[in-house]
Formats: sequence, structure tokens, C-alpha cells
Amino acid sequence: MVHEWADHQVFNLDDGAILYDVDLASLFRIDASIQAVLQRWSCQPRVDLNEVAPPDRAVLEDLRDLRLLVPAGSAKVWPPLRCDPTEIPLSTMVLEVAQDCNLRCTYCYAAGGAYGGPARLLDVETARRAARYLVEKSGDNQALTLVLFGGEPLLNMPAVKAAVEEAEEKAAALGKKLLVSLTTNGTLLDAEILGFLRQHRVVVSVSLDGPAELHDANRPDAAGRGSYSRILARLGGLLENSNAAVAARVTLTPAQWSRCEEVFDHLIGLGFHEVGIAPASPISKNLLPDIQQEQVLLESLASMARRFSRLAKEGRILPFSNLVELLSRLHMGQTKAIACGAGYGYLAVDAGGEFYPCHRLAGEKGFAVGTLATGVDADRVRSSLAQLTTGKDKMCQSCWARSLCAGGCHYENHLRENTLGIPPGSSCDFIRRWLQIGIELYAELRHAGADGLLAKLEKRNTC
Amino acid sequence: MDAKQKIQALNKKAEAVEALTKGEDQAVKALLESGTELQMPVGCTTIFDTGWETNPRATHPVGNCQASVRDFMGCAGDCWWPAQTPDGLTNNPDYHQVCSNMARDWRTIKYD
Repeated sequence: MVHEWADHQVFNLDDGAILYDVDLASLFRIDASIQAVLQRWSCQPRVDLNEVAPPDRAVLEDLRDLRLLVPAGSAKVWPPLRCDPTEIPLSTMVLEVAQDCNLRCTYCYAAGGAYGGPARLLDVETARRAARYLVEKSGDNQALTLVLFGGEPLLNMPAVKAAVEEAEEKAAALGKKLLVSLTTNGTLLDAEILGFLRQHRVVVSVSLDGPAELHDANRPDAAGRGSYSRILARLGGLLENSNAAVAARVTLTPAQWSRCEEVFDHLIGLGFHEVGIAPASPISKNLLPDIQQEQVLLESLASMARRFSRLAKEGRILPFSNLVELLSRLHMGQTKAIACGAGYGYLAVDAGGEFYPCHRLAGEKGFAVGTLATGVDADRVRSSLAQLTTGKDKMCQSCWARSLCAGGCHYENHLRENTLGIPPGSSCDFIRRWLQIGIELYAELRHAGADGLLAKLEKRNTC
Repeated sequence: MDAKQKIQALNKKAEAVEALTKGEDQAVKALLESGTELQMPVGCTTIFDTGWETNPRATHPVGNCQASVRDFMGCAGDCWWPAQTPDGLTNNPDYHQVCSNMARDWRTIKYD
């Protein structure tokens, strides 16, 4: 039978290579002899196994068994089949309880928390209504997530409490599990709030950017004063009393990317259970990285990967969210046909009850997809997603990372392409190199026999 | 060393693909008639031979599908018929009486 190659990517190692099936996301380690056979034959568009001489034929037959050689004409094509977004019930709601903030972070994509409009708070009745909407529209989903977001959500505790209590009650009535998470700048935490968060097992992330001078440069208050010392004074109560892991959510500007490791160490030193680092979104040209800055960030991430590997030898996981998340996806071989859940079970509700595909797009009127009063407008969801993804499929078709990335963050693409006027694909190379760091680390961990540790990642991904 | 040992499945998806291959072997085995010397795959057939049902007899060509058997025998004699023929094994055992020479007698076939 005549076969053709499934789209695959080879990552060279010192003694062999990693073989990655692009559409299945299966990962194999091959030795140099297999790699040599692969090199000999993978340039042939078609392979007739009957005409291959024995030593190579056995290898090619094994690769056929592993679906890397498939019957001619049956190789997968991109884009894959996709569901209509309206067929997917809600699983996650991000509620903008406060479109206002007491800080003025330099890189804020929400323009001081207000998302380009006047500062406003979500009223209690709308908060309850939104929580009901999440549960009512959740279909067969048994596990729901309510994310309390802002601005600074703790500026509006009445709405936080109302939304959490209503969602809990309605979810419990239907026997569904509810996870509540909250992202805060930490400046308003007090004993009463901590008590509420603990009582309702709210998973808290604190936005903190590292050592005092770095954090204060990024995250001043409205009067221009740094916020680090205020947060630190309130952090102890959260870290000591929380019944869920508390993560630090770091945002760094391109000029700060060389300091990832230092920031990570500082925050773990403060007692955070996990630290995730995000590059600031390029809301303006001065936050758009150049190639050298991207290289610096990749080197920092590669260095974190080496630390992850060293610690794994002791059976411990380096609590660096970026790598933990990526490794758990690679471990399972999860693929994506769409970039994220925006419009597919994920919905952001702003402080006025207006719907957006995701929290980062909130306030971008052109992408609004309905209101609490009228419900989700299916046509608006389709047109918003179409606006955000047009042309991406064609680009992804020739990319080995397509089933891991599926086009990347809608909002980042929107900023780069529509706000800054950069041609599509400007972050693809960075994304591929980051994914490669993860793939190489994963192969190394597996080869070193870190199976127990990887099983923990599996648990994380399935819960 | 077997080539397979030089290819190590790393992640869960790779293991699943490997298991799929093993599963395929078992699926074929499940179709074997147990206790028969020839270990013939058994399948189903409708009125006409589809090429799936196999020659269960120890005659040549052993194990080929019946359509192939008919073609083989037909080519050797004077009755070659390049299309589906009624299934003479189970549903139409009298086929050869009704139509002993396909090229000449095909109009006599009146099977539903």
C-alpha cells in the first residue's frame, strides 16, 4: 500500500531526536538509526512499503503503526472540523465586578481598570443575575468556573459576595461543582475578606511583579506611589490561611524580561505556592518587544526549564506556572482546534452586564456578543470570532505548532494587527520557540524516568 | 535490536497510539474462527459475494475471498465473469444448476 507522511517535526538531540506528530501531538524519542531512516524517506511525498528494502522497511512499518505514515490521501488537513460556538454550553464566566482600580499599572490593557469607559461597579442584582446565567446556560457541564475579575474586584465586595453565593446556591441545586477564582492586586485584603475567601474556597491569584523597585515601577497607585509595601503587609494573612494554592501573577515589560528568574525566586521566597509570568500585552508600540528582547525572554524561560529539570531529579516540581501548564498539556498530548475558549463556553460579563468573548476583549465594542438582558447573540459570537481569526487557518496550515497554539491569543493578535498595524504572524516564531523549550524539557524528564512527577501533572490537567 | 525498541513513546498520546496498534491486532484475532485449522477470518455476507467472505475449504486458493476464488476458477475454465456473482455458499446453493455457464446463462439468474 502506498503511504504518505503525517505532518511531523523532528527536534534533534545529542543522541537521536524527538519526533512529534503535529496533528496528534504524540511525542516519541527515536535513536540515531531511526532518525537516519526518517531522513532518507521523509523527503519522499509517497512511500510504497512493498518497494522498500528490509532494514528500512521494518522501521517504516513501525512508523506506520505509530500513525506517522498513513495511507496515501488520508493525512489530516487543517483546519479541523469545528463545532458551532452556540452548541457549546457555558463552563467559565469572567465577571468584571469592578471596572475601576486603585492602581495605575503602566502596562494595563484595561486603561486603569475601566476598560476605556467611565469607572463603574457591578451592582449586586446584576452580579446575581450573571451568576444565575452561568449555571442556567451550563448545559451538561458538571464543573463550572466563576472568575471574579476587574479592575480590582475587591473594590466591590458586595458584588463579589452576591455572585459567589448565588452561583454556589444554583450550582449546588443542580449537583454541579463550582470553582471560584479571583485575581486581585492585594492592596485591599483584610481579615473579613480573607475569611470570605477561605469560607468559599476561592482560588486567589495576586498580581505582584517581584522585588519592590521592579514592582513599584510597574504598579503605582493613582498618586504615583508604589504598592509593594502595602501588599506585603496584607499578604501574610492570605498565604498562611488559604485553603487553596495562592499564585503570584507577574507581568513584565520587555525591558524587564532578563529578570524572570530573580522575580520568580523573590515571589517563591515570599511564600507563594506558584508563580506565573506573562509578558505585558503590547497595548502600545513601546511595549512591543524587538527580536533581541524576545531572545532574552526565551533564554530566561530556557533557564527556568533547566531548573525544572534539576529539581525534577529530586522528585519535586518547580512551581513555575508557565512550564507546569505547558508540560501537563504535552504530557496528555492535548490538541486544540481553536485557540481558546472565548465564545466556546467562556464568556466575560462587564460591569454593565454586557457580554464579550473574553475578559481581555471587554470594552472593545466591536466584539460585544450580547447582554444579560438579551442573552448571547449567536451571530455576534460567530462574527466576533471570525473577525479575530480570519486568515489564521491558512498560516497555521504550514506550522508544526498549530495543534498546540491554534492561532494564539485573540486579544494579543488584535492588539498587534489592528491597534499597532503589524502583519499577522508576528508572534509565531516566539510561540514556536517557547513550545520547543517545553517539548525538549518534557522529553528530558521522561527519559530521566520522572514518571511519578509527570503523573502529578496528569492529575492537574484532568481535575 | 528490534526497531520498535529504538522508538520510545513519550507522552500519553503516543502511548495511546501504540495501544491502538495493539488493539488492531486483537480485533483481527477476534474475527478468527477458533478451532479451525485454517484460522479463517469470518465475516458476514449478503446475497452477493462482496469479496469479504473467504474460501473456508482447504482448496486453492486457500483463504482468498470467494470473489477471487470464482475469478481464479473461472479464468481457468470457460466461465469467467468479471462482476459480482450470487453467493453459492449459503444463500443460493443451486446457483450452478441455474447458471452453469455464466457467459451464456446469465439471463436465467433471477435472484432477488
